[in-house]
Amino acid sequence: MEREGASPLVHLVIILTCLVWILPTLGLLVSSVRPAHDVAATGWWTVLRNPFDLTQYTLQNYREVLGAAGMGRAFVNSLIITIPATLLTIGIAAFAAFAFAWFQFPGRDALFLVVVGLLVVPLQMTLIPILRLYSRLGLAGTFVGIWLAHVGYGLPFAIYLLRNFFGSLPADLFESAFIDGASPLTAFFRLALPLSVPALASLGIFQFLWVWNDLLVGLIYLGGSPSVAPLTVRLSTLVGSYGQSWHLLTAAAFVSMAVPMAVFFALQRYFVRGILAGAVKG
Amino acid sequence: MRIRRNLAGWMVIALVLVTMPALSAQSGKVTILGTWGGHELAAFEKVLEPFEAATGIDVQFTGTRDLPAVLTTRVAAGNPPDMAALPNPGQMLELAAGGHLVDLSQILDMDQLREDFAPVWLEMGSYDGKLVAIVLSADLKSLVWYNPKEFAARGYQVPTTWDELLALTEQIARDGHTAWSIGLESGAASGWPGTDWIEDIMLRTAGPEVYDQWVNHDIPWTHPAVRRAFEIFGEIARNPRYVYGGTTAVLSTNFGDAVNPLFTDPPRAFLHRQASFITSFITENNPGVVAGEDYDFFPLPAIDPQWGVPALGAADLIGVFRDTPETRALIRYLVTPGAQAIWVSELGKLSANRRVTPNAYPDELTRKMAQTLVEAEVFRFDGSDLMPPAVGSGAFWEGVLMYVGGEDLDTVLEFIEAAADDAYTSGAATD
Repeated sequence: MEREGASPLVHLVIILTCLVWILPTLGLLVSSVRPAHDVAATGWWTVLRNPFDLTQYTLQNYREVLGAAGMGRAFVNSLIITIPATLLTIGIAAFAAFAFAWFQFPGRDALFLVVVGLLVVPLQMTLIPILRLYSRLGLAGTFVGIWLAHVGYGLPFAIYLLRNFFGSLPADLFESAFIDGASPLTAFFRLALPLSVPALASLGIFQFLWVWNDLLVGLIYLGGSPSVAPLTVRLSTLVGSYGQSWHLLTAAAFVSMAVPMAVFFALQRYFVRGILAGAVKG
Repeated sequence: MRIRRNLAGWMVIALVLVTMPALSAQSGKVTILGTWGGHELAAFEKVLEPFEAATGIDVQFTGTRDLPAVLTTRVAAGNPPDMAALPNPGQMLELAAGGHLVDLSQILDMDQLREDFAPVWLEMGSYDGKLVAIVLSADLKSLVWYNPKEFAARGYQVPTTWDELLALTEQIARDGHTAWSIGLESGAASGWPGTDWIEDIMLRTAGPEVYDQWVNHDIPWTHPAVRRAFEIFGEIARNPRYVYGGTTAVLSTNFGDAVNPLFTDPPRAFLHRQASFITSFITENNPGVVAGEDYDFFPLPAIDPQWGVPALGAADLIGVFRDTPETRALIRYLVTPGAQAIWVSELGKLSANRRVTPNAYPDELTRKMAQTLVEAEVFRFDGSDLMPPAVGSGAFWEGVLMYVGGEDLDTVLEFIEAAADDAYTSGAATD
């Protein structure tokens, strides 16, 4: 493959696009280290006039965010919510996707169509009926309830992504495995899963980000009591009802970003390969 | 197999974690849903401290700025919080109409309440003869903020009539400055600061009765009184000589930032109309400013002398969804002057409870606001909060933005009237 073939024009366009994309995040980062009254008075770009004048920077916003009461507990809650919700989604989706890709059973295509159709159902529509069910079952305000909710919301996309990836694995591989006497379970654990690490990793990143960044689902099903509230819910209460102290959110955004960033970098070598999952056959 | 062992491990951890919150939540507790966060949340926790210490009841407050949606969802799903703190009576009455709120007149000492609160505050929390909400505190909206030091340095006088206010505006314009700073941007709620202007002007030009008719949609939006209020607002807001940055800045400046031009050196504007809550923005964005010295207010003057200087305001209301011994104890505590005094002294809000002494207010400025509120012959609640949401937090906001953006007033008023026709179920002007 000729990598050098790309013209300088393409490079320029890519660099420009990246810059435009990064600019708001850069602004956020700069704002997060500026004092509140500076943020209120002037735009973040004013620091560019004198970027090395360190007196205009402060870590006060970070200190206030990290020092706020209950932040540690909220961080732990977020992990408690996100990790099982991610693992469960991947686990269930992998089983389902494998069945959709390699098993023959009546109504398979119709079922798959239903799953794909669920992708377009806005989750807001489900809030009231599910919460009503939860309060009857005693699941409202519990971690089990929110795991189930996140798994349910994540599954359609997860199954769709993985089915296409499993479907693109060579059929010969499974045929010869079955001829050699492998059970479907063995074929799944020994063949499909190891070959699908890129797809599983990218799905893991997606799902982790969605659950970690979620505010609405947590607020509705868990409520805001300190023993269960995730980081997003806790951070949103730093701001007053009229939006006072919004400068704290700039720092809060980076605090909340730290864990997903770590997950992303840990899994990123799989990411590009995985995101092409199912897009190209062969 | 490794996968299986990991799975089993996870399940054990999960089980432990699931039981944890259940164990910690066994004693009496009360959950409250509201909009407060930041300083407000800290202040409310201070209010709760003595209560929790005395009763051992654990009060858990959840704040969200998306309160109407979250509360509606939880109520509809049969999973409401024990209590809710609402910033406007519109939704409170809606919940009461749905039969979701507990009748507090059975729980509270009504004779004491009638002694402590003026009738207007009790009416605000009443629905169908039942008391469904109590007023924790009030905010005053009819205030014009200014910088006394700059006024003194430039020889500007605090206006006491509308003509003087316009004369001052013109004088500042002749001096080569702009008098007003207005900011209507507020994310999805953009436009609401303009609705406060219109409401204040309506009260001063048409009087409280027409104002009530307008809020109830007994007169249409195309009524001359509404039209006149928009025009008076437009004289200032649409005039680039009178307002800092012209209409572009009015539309794009956040309401919380709009007060800042008063405190730059030199100031870029001199007057700012906003509710009492703006003091928290002033002090946060301009550290070191002193109430009464660096910033002060005067009541928005009378326009038509017949109607005097009415007060437009807002209130924080608290209603109860679940009648339990814990919620009874808490609501009884929250109406006491002691609890309300902590709340107002922390936030500079105003108490509606007559027994809260003026000493409770943190500074002279807040005492002056409380006095303005008490002395106003006429008090009216923020009209947009009372209208159906499709109008009060929809078409009205949008209409204000359209009008400031240069849209023809007839078009704007007909646009809001069309939305009102759809949204109101009663009202003489509803088609």
